[in-house]
Amino acid sequence: MVSSITLAIDGQEIVTQPGKTILQAAIEVGLYIPYLCYYPGMKPFGACRMCVVEVENGRGTPASCTTPVADGMVVSTNTPQLQDLRKGITELIISEHPHGCLTCHRTDINGANLCGPEDICQRHVSVTDRCVACPKNERCELKDTTIFVGTGLTTPLTYKNRNLPVLTKDPFYDLDLNLCIVCGRCVRACEELRGDSAITFTERSGISLVGPAHGTSLLESGCEFCGSCIDVCPVGALVESDYKWEKAVDYVSTTCPHCPVGCQLKLEVNKRGKVIRAIPVLEADANHGQACFKGKFGLDFINSRSRLKTPMIRRDGSLQEASWEEALALVAEQFSKYKGDQFAAIGSYRGTNEENYLLQKFTRVVMGTNNVDHSSNLKPEMVEPLGEALGYQAATNPIWDLENARCILTFGTNTTEEHNVVAVPVKRAVKNGAKLIVIDSREVELTRYATTWIRPRPGSDAVLLGGMLKVIVDEVLEDQDFLGEKCDNLDSLKHSLWQFDLNKVEEMTGVSQDEIRLVARTFAENSPAAIVYALDTVPQSQRVDCVNALVDLALLTGNIGKASGGLYPLRSGTNAQGSWDVGCVPNLLPGYQSVGDALARTTLQEAWGVETPSGRGMGVIEVFQSISAGNIKAMLVAGDSPSFSNGDLRDAIEAARALEFLVVQDTFLTGLAQVADVVLPSVTFAEKEGTFTNLERRVQPLRKVLDIQNSGSRPDWWITCEIAKAMNAQGFDFHCAAQVLDEISNLIQLYAGITYQRLLSKKGVLEPVLMPNFPLPSQLHSSTGGQNEGIQWPCLTSEDVGSSVLYTEGFPIGKARFIPLEMKEVPSMTTADFPLLFLPGRVLHQSQVEMEVVVAGQKNYIQRDELLKLHPSDAADMGIQEEDWVEVISSSERIRAKAKLTDDAFRGTVSATFLFGDLMTRLESSEDPDPMSHVPGLPVTPVRLAKLEA
Amino acid sequence: MPSFEELLEESQRRFQELEAGDKPWIRVGTAVCGEAAGAFQVIDALKAELDKRGIVANVSAVGCIGLCYAETLVDILKPGKPRVFYKNITPEMVPDLVESYLVGDNHRPDLALAYSGEGSLDGIPRLEDLPMWSHQVRIALRNCGHIDPLDIYQYIAKGGYAALNKAVTQMEPAGVIKEMQDSGLRGRGGAAFPTGTKWSFLARSPGPLKYILCNCEEGDPGAYNDKGILESDPHSLIEGAILAGFATEASNGVVFIRHGHEGPIHRTMHAIEQAYELGLLGDNILGSSFSFHMEVSLTGDSYVSGEETALMESVEGKRAMPRARPPFPAAYGVWGIPSNINNIKSLSYVSEIISKGGEWFAGIGTEGSKGTAILCLSGNIALPGMVEVPMGITLRDVIDNVVGGVPDGRKAKFLQTGGPLGGVLPADQLDIELDFGAMAQAGAILGSGGIIVADDRACAVNMTRLLVAFCQYESCGKCFPCRLGMTNLIEILERIARFESRPQDMELMRTVGQNMAAGSLCGHGQLGWNPVQSALRSFPDDFTAHMEEKRCPTGQCMAPVFTPQRTRSRWTSAQPMELRF
Repeated sequence: MVSSITLAIDGQEIVTQPGKTILQAAIEVGLYIPYLCYYPGMKPFGACRMCVVEVENGRGTPASCTTPVADGMVVSTNTPQLQDLRKGITELIISEHPHGCLTCHRTDINGANLCGPEDICQRHVSVTDRCVACPKNERCELKDTTIFVGTGLTTPLTYKNRNLPVLTKDPFYDLDLNLCIVCGRCVRACEELRGDSAITFTERSGISLVGPAHGTSLLESGCEFCGSCIDVCPVGALVESDYKWEKAVDYVSTTCPHCPVGCQLKLEVNKRGKVIRAIPVLEADANHGQACFKGKFGLDFINSRSRLKTPMIRRDGSLQEASWEEALALVAEQFSKYKGDQFAAIGSYRGTNEENYLLQKFTRVVMGTNNVDHSSNLKPEMVEPLGEALGYQAATNPIWDLENARCILTFGTNTTEEHNVVAVPVKRAVKNGAKLIVIDSREVELTRYATTWIRPRPGSDAVLLGGMLKVIVDEVLEDQDFLGEKCDNLDSLKHSLWQFDLNKVEEMTGVSQDEIRLVARTFAENSPAAIVYALDTVPQSQRVDCVNALVDLALLTGNIGKASGGLYPLRSGTNAQGSWDVGCVPNLLPGYQSVGDALARTTLQEAWGVETPSGRGMGVIEVFQSISAGNIKAMLVAGDSPSFSNGDLRDAIEAARALEFLVVQDTFLTGLAQVADVVLPSVTFAEKEGTFTNLERRVQPLRKVLDIQNSGSRPDWWITCEIAKAMNAQGFDFHCAAQVLDEISNLIQLYAGITYQRLLSKKGVLEPVLMPNFPLPSQLHSSTGGQNEGIQWPCLTSEDVGSSVLYTEGFPIGKARFIPLEMKEVPSMTTADFPLLFLPGRVLHQSQVEMEVVVAGQKNYIQRDELLKLHPSDAADMGIQEEDWVEVISSSERIRAKAKLTDDAFRGTVSATFLFGDLMTRLESSEDPDPMSHVPGLPVTPVRLAKLEA
Repeated sequence: MPSFEELLEESQRRFQELEAGDKPWIRVGTAVCGEAAGAFQVIDALKAELDKRGIVANVSAVGCIGLCYAETLVDILKPGKPRVFYKNITPEMVPDLVESYLVGDNHRPDLALAYSGEGSLDGIPRLEDLPMWSHQVRIALRNCGHIDPLDIYQYIAKGGYAALNKAVTQMEPAGVIKEMQDSGLRGRGGAAFPTGTKWSFLARSPGPLKYILCNCEEGDPGAYNDKGILESDPHSLIEGAILAGFATEASNGVVFIRHGHEGPIHRTMHAIEQAYELGLLGDNILGSSFSFHMEVSLTGDSYVSGEETALMESVEGKRAMPRARPPFPAAYGVWGIPSNINNIKSLSYVSEIISKGGEWFAGIGTEGSKGTAILCLSGNIALPGMVEVPMGITLRDVIDNVVGGVPDGRKAKFLQTGGPLGGVLPADQLDIELDFGAMAQAGAILGSGGIIVADDRACAVNMTRLLVAFCQYESCGKCFPCRLGMTNLIEILERIARFESRPQDMELMRTVGQNMAAGSLCGHGQLGWNPVQSALRSFPDDFTAHMEEKRCPTGQCMAPVFTPQRTRSRWTSAQPMELRF
């Protein structure tokens, strides 16, 4: 195998790797060849023919995007013939593409227009044919390419406008096919990058275009509204419908606040200081240029008019505006009364490492209690066993390792909606032939890609995993070498597996023995195999057992410490990982040291100057329960959380009313803020600095996209410091977040080598490297090469590049420990009032249920009869017959659906599968200023049915 | 499974019964040409008439013998008599014919076209003496019109599967490839790539899964020889494909037939079934260690899916758009598996080449083009049909002698060869030889073998317009130069045909055309300029008349222009943009 290839492009000698194309090799060294259909990361397509080159001793003019480099190749990219050819092709393209301003002397050679969109055209070019009236003007690749190629002021070919209506009725997207040049980038992005195929080519020959794969609307074509097609569109055909016409004056890349994937987004800011668009960063290691509906279309809350601008104090029963001095003085005065265990603090799930560090420091140092937690910490069991068995309470491998896995097991996770970008490498792996095992009682979107979908009886997940482990042990499928060298305690695991008799497992889970054997074999025999889990469907009493079993499964098959293997706990908070790291949890001090650990407390005392309390504090779940018991009297809550309102914490807001003193730091006057005594306005992620640690342990910077203008809102870390200072505490004199991170890295070994400066210097504010003869701004972003973004802990020194895969060199606790399992009875998850269990599902596309897209107002909606699947015996008990309309009633919701009787359903459960498109229209029309943080999940809930009269 | 010897014996016994038995054997041409002329109605009428008169006879629906102008062609072989061919038989003529020749003994010279075989008949010529027959050397078409395509025994009796038997029992795969290379056979699909060399590429690719793809996605107007072979003699293709599989150590063969052509699809599927039944396909063919499986797959209704990479996309269930090469099919074919695509005609030669040796085949034809050319002739000629003539014969010979020349005392004006992309060849160049090289030099291509003859009533502008309209309609829409270039070309040509051309149109067509030729991804766009270019070169006067004198010399363009196109006309076209400063 040749490791390097030397070729000459336009007389310049280039050394590159085999397998690259001429175009890639040229771009790498800054040689520009015009292109329109090529896009980094996608397979070569060869449609636009703009990148044609001449190869010495070669035939004709091959496209450089499809021609692989060869040793000794001599390539010319800019001969007069090629220039003519490119010019001819651009003339062909603009014979169908509106180009009034391109052929006008009032557009200068840099593509800048002397006219504005409101100016009257002296040449009577209609408005739809003018570049200045196009949403993509100034960032249009076609315009830049045309100018680069040198098209004159006249076009020889007759111009035809397609005169098609602009499609604006789908959520978030505008599709103007009059501007489409049929380069196929969107189609390929959807298929190759996302694995979805929601858009495709339509028609052929002169009228070939792109469009939704099924029907006329993206709602019915299986679109996941990730915006990937918008990001790659070279012209104005596909654009975001919000802020469509706005022009950006500033571009800053930062970290998305919506989920723990931590996508790097390039935010575009207009001249009025509004964030108008988000474009995922192609070179970012966390997201590889991908984002999801939340990051792409859910950032408008930054610009919301309903944001809080000044602190508010409750006077005479109502919240009234106040100054910061007043508010802080009041908070300090009140908090001084509640020191000790009658106080609790809840950090934000979107809080940066710095903020949550300061919050726990404040609570422990100033308030003298361990009652501190972050609001998304509802399932601490998801990671605690990892620490016990392996050493670190975190995912073992990076997200994009999944792409190369041979087998992926997803367990109780609605990945496509809640951690969307994690599903992308999963789908790509499946396309490359990997096996996907989905264990979920609900019909989530990944079931559509699954090789095997196991639907255990709700609550029996741990038993099922035990059965799988037993099969692996019985059939000697374990990785013997790995076990011998690196693991301990195998015998006790094996001993515990005797309980899991497959007959019994089959009976308890409702999954046939053959299927259990099949998935166990599939998992064990396809290496590397990865496990992705979120425990969404698992009742609390079973969570530890499930995670134990998953860890055992990964260890037994030797998938720990291996690229593309490992365990991925998908937690719900944006900075869940970071909050744990910095000790914003009731039982751990910063750096995963137990609150009871005397040595750790001594070290901390040296750093902080104060002794910290030693008893385990109360977490977010216990706190709200103990308010009513009168144990907690005052609280500081930083930021709203979906868990306060979605039922995860039952009646959190109601409970908070009982507090004597409640301080809420928030951007909006949310439900919890409305019952607070003091509300302190905090800024959004876009106006502050700090770091998030994503689910793959990658510490990524938040950059200041906007200045805080005309507003009294402040970053949460500043507020915490000010409260502490007002209470005369020492050690809170920080004037920027970077200083806090310095203290964190001094204190926490895992972060020792991480500084804010280092994170930024990786690649500062997204300023593309300007290449010598690279005149086109619009295509610059895609070619600066793979620079690293963020550092994965453990990062021990300032030279350490971080650890992408954990445990490659062994385990910090010596040897990994198997955890023995216990076979427990399946707990009942229903109540007397709600005797059935509802298993909701949501998929992108469901062809077996008839649906219709109707236009209501200016928008498309999905109209269809939802189907509720239930067991015939259950139906008979309730007197429900096939096709009867029933209402599904839970404690918080009512859903109408048509009954469908099927033997596949378990007795005592009912299930319904909804469409993702339906959710999208609801989100788009939502009144909530931040709808994407309140996307309804798919909780398994107890319900009862009521038959409706026709 | 029977051994080959047993098979041969059984086949010969059955064939002997038909040919030399005591019952008459009536064969009716039922390829698409016969079917269009009412062959199945003729068969029904024949059977009814025979029943009525209590005559016991064997009636076979055979394929196309190539004399398409004479369809429905009925030939009757009575015991002890030569085989008599009756032309243009309609169901109404059947009772009369049965009465005269089967009941009586009048061989009806007035209805007969020719006879064949031993003996002689008054008043009708021998088939072998007909000019349309005497110039032919029938290799690939050897069985067409003679045997029942649904009966594998007839094929075996005529020497079929002997080559396969020879290969699997006596030859090495490399030997088969060598024989093919010796024969000098070049692919008959249009590109004329040496078949043996192509096979050797696949032979070098790693197995065990390799595909032999047989391309019957024949979309050229005026070409029906691939479908003709599959309709008339599907086993010659199947045997060829199996031999190709043996030579390249491939595992599977797939015959791609254009969706909608029921005759070839049904008969090929049936033939494959029969071959499986007799152990000529499947595991351990004829008791050897070689296994090969075949199936029929239908491709989309698109001209471009005849292009090899587009065909593979189509097979994978995707939109038929050509892939960029490299990687080439021999390394990365259907589903990423090494594949080899051959035209039906190329494969139909294989069994004869293996039986008789490469040298025998190389002895036919010219230096650069060995063997025969299978031509489909249509248009303004006396005797349209499908013929197989040796390479090296002049086009004039073919037109004037083989198919009877241009009727009604008119003169040929041009030939349209090799499908719409081949362009037109003026009549003054008819003296060139049928040879890949010579044709290319004259600016035409032999292509898949379709030749449409136009006489002096045809307008070159009109013909060009129709050819470009076809190419435009059939463009897949992937690469920009083809999709947009064709659309602009047809617009300009329509302007010319409507006498509304602008002074710069000629120059404009040249620029667009040359950019298409240089820039397009696949042959469709690269050759898309060819029809216009060849017409401009040969008939500049026609264009001048349209563009400058605003008249059509032949009058063909006087009628309102209607092009069966799918251009931008679906979109209501706006007024051309005028530039004003």
